[in-house]
Amino acid sequence: MTGAQHSIMEDELHAYVDGMLEPGRRAEVERYLHAHPEVFRRFKAYEAQRDDLREAFSGQLGEPLVSSLDLTTLVEERLTRRRVPWSAAAAVALALLVGGAGGWLLGLRPQNDIAALASEAAASYAVYAADKHRPVELWAAQQDDLTRWVSNRLNRLVAPPDLAGAGYQFLGGRLVPTKHGPAAMFMYESRQAGRLMLFVRPMTVTRNNPIEQVELGDVDGCAWIDRGVGYTLVAPEPYAKLLELSDHVRQLMQTSG
Amino acid sequence: MPGALACIEACIPALRRYARVLLHGSQDADDLVHDTLLRALDKLSARHDDAEVRPWLFAIMHNLFVSQKRREKVRRQSTSPIDVEAIAIPVREHQEDALRWHDLVRVFNTLPEEQRAVLLLVSIENFSYAEVARVLGLPLGTVMSRLARGRERLRGLIEGDGDGRSYLRRVK
Repeated sequence: MTGAQHSIMEDELHAYVDGMLEPGRRAEVERYLHAHPEVFRRFKAYEAQRDDLREAFSGQLGEPLVSSLDLTTLVEERLTRRRVPWSAAAAVALALLVGGAGGWLLGLRPQNDIAALASEAAASYAVYAADKHRPVELWAAQQDDLTRWVSNRLNRLVAPPDLAGAGYQFLGGRLVPTKHGPAAMFMYESRQAGRLMLFVRPMTVTRNNPIEQVELGDVDGCAWIDRGVGYTLVAPEPYAKLLELSDHVRQLMQTSG
Repeated sequence: MPGALACIEACIPALRRYARVLLHGSQDADDLVHDTLLRALDKLSARHDDAEVRPWLFAIMHNLFVSQKRREKVRRQSTSPIDVEAIAIPVREHQEDALRWHDLVRVFNTLPEEQRAVLLLVSIENFSYAEVARVLGLPLGTVMSRLARGRERLRGLIEGDGDGRSYLRRVK
């Protein structure tokens, strides 16, 4: 037997010990082992070693779990820790864990500026998305006028992102009033899901805020703050999809702004 | 995705066991698991395939362990020798086997850490060789040679090195 063949064989012998060989190959390896008593003895010892290790370490699995490793507690801690931005994914996970917990997240974390932004967006969505015939002031054909209009009033370039790739056609938009000044509202439509709205207004704070879930009555949304501008995305979609769309929009707005 | 959290939860006992093997049973083991879980919750994405969760968690833990070790090495500049007798790993506490398991774990802990990691992931956690390579960030060939060396070394320790001394006698 040459060295190369031998080393291949050696790996296969370990795979034999670990039960990872195809039945056909297993039989061949067994034949080889029976013809080589020294090798046979060695690998039988490995096999016994494997079994013994499993036995010896199996006791640890039954130990009681310490509270610092309780996953539900960890997820909750993650959400309530104010200074560390919690991951949106953890929120999805928790929502799934507690089962259909909808909007309590907002109550859990009093985020005043995000909450204000979200409630303004909710009002706009309720009024304009429900308007079958005139949801927007300027339609998609007048996109350049719309962009100029809202950009002038918000003192920065704010253009509607292209969401056709995500299945949403741009309908148009308008300027809407809020307690905190003018905001831009862009409306999209998907034949399957319905209407999606992106709501944009400058914030009084310049810090960033990661994407988080906000409750807006009948529909869910996501809100975030990026370089002093607040965004809320609202659509009748499951939260995981909203997160994906929000992340997509955030990136598009970063490259266009 | 709905199962990802449940998958993570189911892995916690095995993660603790692996952490203890890496850290020689010290109290830091649960801290390492804690950090691993936090990191996992941070990175958990909707696209995670449930079957991938287990190797993914072990890989996170391994990476945390490696960077932790690197920091400690910088701090201490040298690693103090391990007091094998002081290693407190709980083992199965019943039947007359208890002593034997205790000895086996003690002997196992004298192996180099890299061999212990591979032996545990293969023999006890039942990972495929390819999964172990991914968890440890190593080429498959390195995993195989560590497995071979670890098994042979452990066999030598169990059967005695020919100097009449045996750490462990099989009672069959």
